[in-house]
Amino acid sequence: MADARTPPFRLNLGRFIVYAVLLFAVCFYGIPLLWLLLAGTRSQSSLFADPPFSIGNWETFLVTWNNLTTYNNFQIVSWAANSAIYSVGGVLLSLFASIPAGYALAASEFPGRKLILVVTLIAMITPSTAVVLPIFLEMNLLGLNNSYAGMILVSGFFPFGVYLTYVYFSTSLPKGVMDSARVDGANRFELFTRIALPLARPIVALVAFFSFIGIWSNYFLAFVLLSDDKLYNLPVGLTVLISTSGALSNLPANDVPIKKPEVILAAILVILPVLLIFIVAQRFVRSGTLSGAEKG
Amino acid sequence: MSSIADTASPTVPRERVRAAKRKGQRDTRMAYLLLLPYIVLLIMFGVFPVAYAFGLSFVDTIENAFYGLANYEFVFNDFRVPTAAINVLWFVVIWVAMTMVGVATLSLMLDSVGRRTATTLRTIYFLPGAVTSSAVVVLWLFMLDPGVSPFQGLLHAAGWTYSIDVISGIGLAGVFALMAYFSASGGWIVVFGGALSSLPSEVLEAARVDGANRFQLATRIKLPMIWRSLVLMGILSFAAGLQLFVEPQLMQLAGPQSAQNDWSLNQMAFQYAFRMGDFGASAALSTMLVGTSIIIALVIVFATRFYKID
Repeated sequence: MADARTPPFRLNLGRFIVYAVLLFAVCFYGIPLLWLLLAGTRSQSSLFADPPFSIGNWETFLVTWNNLTTYNNFQIVSWAANSAIYSVGGVLLSLFASIPAGYALAASEFPGRKLILVVTLIAMITPSTAVVLPIFLEMNLLGLNNSYAGMILVSGFFPFGVYLTYVYFSTSLPKGVMDSARVDGANRFELFTRIALPLARPIVALVAFFSFIGIWSNYFLAFVLLSDDKLYNLPVGLTVLISTSGALSNLPANDVPIKKPEVILAAILVILPVLLIFIVAQRFVRSGTLSGAEKG
Repeated sequence: MSSIADTASPTVPRERVRAAKRKGQRDTRMAYLLLLPYIVLLIMFGVFPVAYAFGLSFVDTIENAFYGLANYEFVFNDFRVPTAAINVLWFVVIWVAMTMVGVATLSLMLDSVGRRTATTLRTIYFLPGAVTSSAVVVLWLFMLDPGVSPFQGLLHAAGWTYSIDVISGIGLAGVFALMAYFSASGGWIVVFGGALSSLPSEVLEAARVDGANRFQLATRIKLPMIWRSLVLMGILSFAAGLQLFVEPQLMQLAGPQSAQNDWSLNQMAFQYAFRMGDFGASAALSTMLVGTSIIIALVIVFATRFYKID
């Protein structure tokens, strides 16, 4: 079998290990997601009886869809609407607060600037889950739990967005443009609205991306702040569906129309918006997460 | 501004000083105005809750009286708290180890294969990041149920028939680490993909000329160059892991026999407030948890200089 020419693909041991590990990782990351998306089309009996990656049919999907959406007077639809309200409101508020703040921290010098920066960094590094119970205690005091306003206000606090904006403007704000605009008689507010904001489009998208993902998939905060089931968001709603129907527990059947396929479809609804955004905006993660961190 | 530019002559120094001062004040006022919405939110949801929980932790919230350190004493004497602390530590150790080894290995390997292959694979690793909070628990409860799981061959081979066998076989800390790793690691692989591709090519080229093979290139050259960022990832994961709540809290979805309502420290703080109505004890435990996070954050900000503050 010895070949005098160089083979087009030399498979030595090292390369074999690299590809084997990468392939193993493809299975680990890919199989659960693929299974979930396919399982949304299958019936309860098919989930148990057929091979894991078989595809169901359109009729089954429609039945499942109907069971899920009509259950409890279209409850899941209102949960999805709530999720949308919290996310849109929270993202808008976080942009409204963090873009001007990041700009001010980058473009001007004033007493207390360093303090605000340090507190922002600490708030950003502290996991948001650490303050959920303190925030609950506070909202309880203010009477703001169980309200749209409360959820949106909490979600609008996004120190990471301030930091990203600060880093963006401190590296990309052209000093010359600012100075000549100033000489042309633009006042400080106009400098922000006419010069900085048009430049800020990429950072607005980046902050909106991270802020949306955080708010859309927030379970802990919604679970603690909301006790009225009309106000639940989708991640909390998903768990309520499962615990009221016992769909995952393999216990004796009941007549609640929520079985495994309905749960799978609900889970797909929870992840779909983020999944779609991820597919178009993967590069955001790269440019955002370590931005401002010194090179390793 | 233009007035200052015009007053270059040394004959009106006082005017100039005054004008500069006015300009400085106007700048400062404008900066505060732009910062105002954020500062309100920062105080409301950053500073105040932490301070309030701290204050509340010294109050007997049932009798409404100063309580000294009694809430802390109560928390430390609750036999479930040390158990929960050990549980969480186990989880954090497993998860951080998985994350550091997994992310470093996969990132370095992806950096050594063809660009198009790497991009495709990186996207596959990244997409599970969309599966968060309750959805990741639900998905993995399916994955660990030998009745329906696509991994059922593997689970059966291990001798597990029901999900409860699988969960006790892997161990709860391992199960939660698996869920957290599945969803959180892909984003880091994308981040390190970027970091690796921006390493100075002269250095890599020089190593190659000196006869380094791919393995040596990865372990002796690239790894030390991304080491600091890897450590940062480890610390951030450690801090996030200490706050574990969602994964154990949702184990009850698999049925009452799987419920774990006091497995983690944050769950204990939740139990105090919601099951026992003891906000003081909840505040005491929350204060300690937030305090730990803040100390870690201070270390990152002041001791490592990872983040640029000027």
